[in-house]
Amino acid sequence: MREAPGAGDLGEDGATVLGLDNIGLRLPIAGAGSRTLAAFVDYLCIGLGMLLWILLVLVVFSWTSPALRVALLICGWFLLEWGYFAGFEIASGGHTLGKRALRLHVVSAEGGEAGSGALLIRNLVRLFDVLVGVPLMAFDPLARRLGDRLAGTLVIHQDRPWQPVVLGRTPPGWGPREVAAAEALLARAGELADPGAGQDLARRLLARVERDAPGFVAGLDFRDPLRALRLALEVPPAAREI
Amino acid sequence: MDYARFVRLRRPIWQSFERRLAISRRMPRGLAYDDLQELALEYRQVLHDHALAAARYPGTGAARQLAALALAGTHRLTRGAERVGARDLVTHAFPRAFRRQLPALALAAGLFALAAFCGLVVAALQPALGTMLLGPKAVEELAQGRLWTQALTTTVPPVVSSSGIATNNLSVALVAWSGGVLGGIVPLYIILLNGAMLGALASVTLHYSMAGALLEFIAAHGPLEITLTLVASACGLSLGRALVAAGDRPRGLALREAARDALVVLVCSLPWFVVLALVETLVSPSPSLPVWLKLLLGCALLLLYLALALRPPLPLRQEMRADGLAPLRVEAAD
Repeated sequence: MREAPGAGDLGEDGATVLGLDNIGLRLPIAGAGSRTLAAFVDYLCIGLGMLLWILLVLVVFSWTSPALRVALLICGWFLLEWGYFAGFEIASGGHTLGKRALRLHVVSAEGGEAGSGALLIRNLVRLFDVLVGVPLMAFDPLARRLGDRLAGTLVIHQDRPWQPVVLGRTPPGWGPREVAAAEALLARAGELADPGAGQDLARRLLARVERDAPGFVAGLDFRDPLRALRLALEVPPAAREI
Repeated sequence: MDYARFVRLRRPIWQSFERRLAISRRMPRGLAYDDLQELALEYRQVLHDHALAAARYPGTGAARQLAALALAGTHRLTRGAERVGARDLVTHAFPRAFRRQLPALALAAGLFALAAFCGLVVAALQPALGTMLLGPKAVEELAQGRLWTQALTTTVPPVVSSSGIATNNLSVALVAWSGGVLGGIVPLYIILLNGAMLGALASVTLHYSMAGALLEFIAAHGPLEITLTLVASACGLSLGRALVAAGDRPRGLALREAARDALVVLVCSLPWFVVLALVETLVSPSPSLPVWLKLLLGCALLLLYLALALRPPLPLRQEMRADGLAPLRVEAAD
């Protein structure tokens, strides 16, 4: 994996890696905290799985010889111990139960789908990552443990909700900060704890729109600034879905 | 170009890409070849739009949406490594990877032999060491002319023995392999410990004139079991070497390459442990089978494994379409 200039500069959006055509791709890297929590959930699942396996062997296989039941217990124990993580990740394309619960996902170093070999490799060294994995993740900008370095994988947050595009037109001279502020306000107006603050911000943005593009606000009723801002800048709902 | 115009002009491509991407997720065979080509083309366009939006309109809805689309497309359309089928794994990848492990395997075998010799000499000079290794009960049995391994058939049912032996040997191999990430210390420890123990056991059994019985017991499973343990340890040593002495390549790249080779060798070697567990439980302790037959079985198993490992690699089977075109794949930058 090649890291783009500034890679490892973990902002709220994660880190940048170079993907196809050397284009920087922002990956929402999962940190040591969420990954440790996912691992905790997974080890609970393993413990539960072992209990269930013991019950299953004792109840369902009660008609078999005691020796066979012991052998089944030994084999099941071994498979759960060594195969749970790799098995789940390979079968579900990068998830375990813990990762699914915390919406984490294993990807290749370029953000692509991790192959079965890589998923197997990263989990074979888990035994040693239990000892050194957390400090390694904490100090690595891409939060990689030993297994990730060996397999060339990363763990990212999955399907982070993103802000829908709502602006259909922008006043001349508006830069990304003004656009982002207007979009964020219109997208989140219904969720604001203090509606008054939203109205106040809408009023100030309307003033900017009126100054930069008076035609956008011509004939609009300013008594409801949020609605007026929406009408001035927003695209029709039918064209909004991407 | 102003933000709204950028969104207005490019939005149809993003919509089309997302639609095709959703179809490819729901039913991968639902896309025709032309659709796949279109999807790959749109992916590049989305990536470039993402780069433009991230640079010129950072923090805006379009930039965030394109980042998510680019990530979803990258995940769907790129893969970290080529998929290898089971047949290609055994006939192509395994022999190639095994040959690359030969220097490490030679080192592991040399260290094992040295440790075995040391164990033999030390246990001969210090008989108490044998008692410590085997335990007083086993030594007492040796003194009475019985090998401690007879318990495998007399006290424990074969099905329990074989599953226990298989899981134990598999665990040792997996630990030897994965322990390579600690600079090769763990596989080195496993090689030296196993060698020293084998030497010491040979010395103790020689002392009680039971070396023949021990050799008879390990004849059927020993040659391949020791080889497989050394192979797994050699893979671990290769990992350790890539970590400690990566040469002129980046350490991460050297590690990943070593891990890929080592994994292929491990995956193709592990199933043999299950076969060996059955042999060790059913054949090795059996008094009714002659020694020569056990020795023949042991040599045959070893030769079969080595024949598979050292055969000339067959060419990869190409998955070609009926029209002769190679399958569409967007290669990830490496």
